[in-house]
Amino acid sequence: MSKILKRLIPESLRHWSSLAIIITAGVLVEATTAVQYYYAKQGIRQEVEHRAESELRAKSLEIRNVMNVVEVAVENMAWAVEQRLSQPDSMVAVTQKLLADNEYIVGSAVAFEPYYYQDKGRQFSPYTYKHDGTTTSKQLGTDQYDYHSMEWYTAPMESGHGHWSEPYFDEGGGEMMMSTYSLPIRDAAGRCVAIFTADVSLDWLSEIINARHIYPSSYNLLLSRKGQIMACPEDSLVMRQSIGQATAGMADTTVEYINRQMMEGRSGQATVTDDKGEKNYVFYAQMDGDTGWSMAVVCADREIYHSLRWMAINVTVLMLVGLLLLAYIIWRAARNARHLQAVNAEKERIGSELHIASAIQMGMLPKTFPTYPDRDDVQLYGSLTPAKEVGGDLFDFFIRDEKLFFCIGDVSGKGVPASLVMAVTRSLFRTVSAHESMPDRIVTSLNESMADMNETNMFVTLFVGVLDLPTGRLRYCNAGHDAPLLIGDGVGTLPVESNIPVAVMSGWKFVSQEAQIFTGTTIFLFTDGLTEAENAGHAQFRMERVEETARQALAVQEQVPKQIIQRMGDAVHQFVGDAEQSDDLTMLAIQYIKQQRDIKLRKAIVLPNDTKEVPRLAAFVDEVCEALDFDATTTMQMNLAIEEAVVNVMEYAYPPGTRGDISIEAQSNDVRLKFTITDSGSPFDPTVQADADTTLKAEERPIGGLGIHLVRQLMDSINYERIDGNNVLTLRKKLNH
Amino acid sequence: MNTTIKEIDGNMVAMLEGRLDTAASPETEKAMQPLYDCENQDIIIDCANLEYISSSGLRIFLSVLKNVKPKGCHVYIRGLNDDLRQVFAMTGFINLFEFK
Repeated sequence: MSKILKRLIPESLRHWSSLAIIITAGVLVEATTAVQYYYAKQGIRQEVEHRAESELRAKSLEIRNVMNVVEVAVENMAWAVEQRLSQPDSMVAVTQKLLADNEYIVGSAVAFEPYYYQDKGRQFSPYTYKHDGTTTSKQLGTDQYDYHSMEWYTAPMESGHGHWSEPYFDEGGGEMMMSTYSLPIRDAAGRCVAIFTADVSLDWLSEIINARHIYPSSYNLLLSRKGQIMACPEDSLVMRQSIGQATAGMADTTVEYINRQMMEGRSGQATVTDDKGEKNYVFYAQMDGDTGWSMAVVCADREIYHSLRWMAINVTVLMLVGLLLLAYIIWRAARNARHLQAVNAEKERIGSELHIASAIQMGMLPKTFPTYPDRDDVQLYGSLTPAKEVGGDLFDFFIRDEKLFFCIGDVSGKGVPASLVMAVTRSLFRTVSAHESMPDRIVTSLNESMADMNETNMFVTLFVGVLDLPTGRLRYCNAGHDAPLLIGDGVGTLPVESNIPVAVMSGWKFVSQEAQIFTGTTIFLFTDGLTEAENAGHAQFRMERVEETARQALAVQEQVPKQIIQRMGDAVHQFVGDAEQSDDLTMLAIQYIKQQRDIKLRKAIVLPNDTKEVPRLAAFVDEVCEALDFDATTTMQMNLAIEEAVVNVMEYAYPPGTRGDISIEAQSNDVRLKFTITDSGSPFDPTVQADADTTLKAEERPIGGLGIHLVRQLMDSINYERIDGNNVLTLRKKLNH
Repeated sequence: MNTTIKEIDGNMVAMLEGRLDTAASPETEKAMQPLYDCENQDIIIDCANLEYISSSGLRIFLSVLKNVKPKGCHVYIRGLNDDLRQVFAMTGFINLFEFK
């Protein structure tokens, strides 16, 4: 069973709530229809009763009108008869006059008591009647027709009032249904002496009774006092059968009750089921006046409630259609809800992926501050606030060989596409800077990589800086980015060539610039999310406010990177207020804080570019180490490091076969020992050489490439600078105290 | 810098003495040439008296190894002091040679 149900009911409707809605709606509609049907039926019933009663009353009145005319005419003439009682022979004229004046009256007699006029005999009854248009007068009473015993004579004689006879069929006469109205005639003493009659044709009765129907198939019935059918749609029954005979075979005995009621002159209504099983409503009432006639209105239930049934069928069909529609709507709604659920799940998935993407992106940014707690030459702080989950801004920095490499950038656009480009930019910056120290070359390399694969025409404004930590020399290359602020003795903008943004066009020659950063100066870098931060009124924060905020920081001696960025962030938030952040906001502050220390030891030697001079170098290093009281191991390590560095210069700085000098200076303060190796050869940066892979097998190990590797292993730092046409390589070793 | 090559117990033994720096390495490399001719022998480089070695010296060691290893000869290093062993460790050479 449940299987069949499952097949029949769509899955979306199987949910109990959907079914409950449909069932509730069905019950409500059904109940409403039932109540409506009940009241409509009541109304129709009342309407039928009302119409039937009106019909009965109207017909009664109509009949009564005719009868009244006859009665009044007879009464008026009766007066004439009473005046002429002494003139028996004038009675014919009276009857003739009555006929002449009244079309309904087809015969009239003045029938006297036996021997009222002795000379006229026992029966004296002048009679005039109409037949085929001619009027004939004669004596009514004959030896064969003794009227003194006739009902029309005896009844009024006894009652002393006018009397309507039981209708009868005038066979051999007018061949029509008749009734006789009899009125007693009184002499001067008030004694009844004769009966004045008027024979009235009742042919008009059928006309009146059958004239109108309250429903097309309803019919009216007129019965005499004795139950004779006087008028009905079936002509053959009229005056042939009594109602008892006509209804004798009917199964429903209610008709007998109705017949009785009608003959007793009562009014009422009843329901009769005919032999075809159809219900009929019978309304009956006695006619006004003395006739004792009774009329019934018979209506078929089928017809009365026809329109109601039709309406009920229509309503039921409409209801079913409505329920089907409702089911369909629920089905659609359920399907939509499922679809919506799927969409929501998808949204949630994307949301969680965005969340992860955001975490990955944030993971790419330096976020541990202070980043270099041990360094006494630089302090950094950076912050990135994306406008969306992921953003297109980036900043990064790292120290390699006593050089601080840093960058800040802004990818065109926002959201996921920008974040992908941001990730690529940051990765390339790290990869390229690992073996390239010149910012213009770093930017050019990034540009070549990114312009080639730039299918989406996205670009990055980028500022790359390389701060030489020992000297404070800043080399930088700007690719269409905002110029950084320098906050030192005052607040100023670092002059920048704008070049073009990265990834716009391959082959662009990016120009590098240089500046000297003095101890205490802070380089403040930012993206346009700062200067273009908008408040609710669409006013921008602007460069003026950035500079003003920096000046305020300087005024209260708060130019430490973290302080500056927090102060700037507060200023922007205060300016923007409740307005939504429209762009990523990124700031990076770098303060150069190198302090010059007292030099304790300074020794120098100049050697030609000949490896045979290595023993002299060794003697020089030994001398330095001895002065610093180094142990044998450290002395050996210093020897090895300096030899490797100097031999490298000897072999590569000058073209083969050319002579050149190499000066080596050792300098020490309380903290560290520094060797500075200077030559005037062609630019040569050993720090960007690939490090030796010490994990290779003997067969795969290249001969060479070990020297710089050893230097990095043995010294704390190696630093290269090209200064005034010289290659300057600096090696540092922290002193152990 | 002195380099002496002897055949002891069927093995070729190279005894290095002094500072093997860049200046000394061409001469040392020349002195080590006979090792290349080893046949079914093991080579022992005795560093007990080696005071110093730079990358140029390490290159000579690697050169020997590359030349004799295909012939099935083992190269052993003997008597390396701790400071020099550390240099071998820094450069990964410690993984290339067998030590006695």
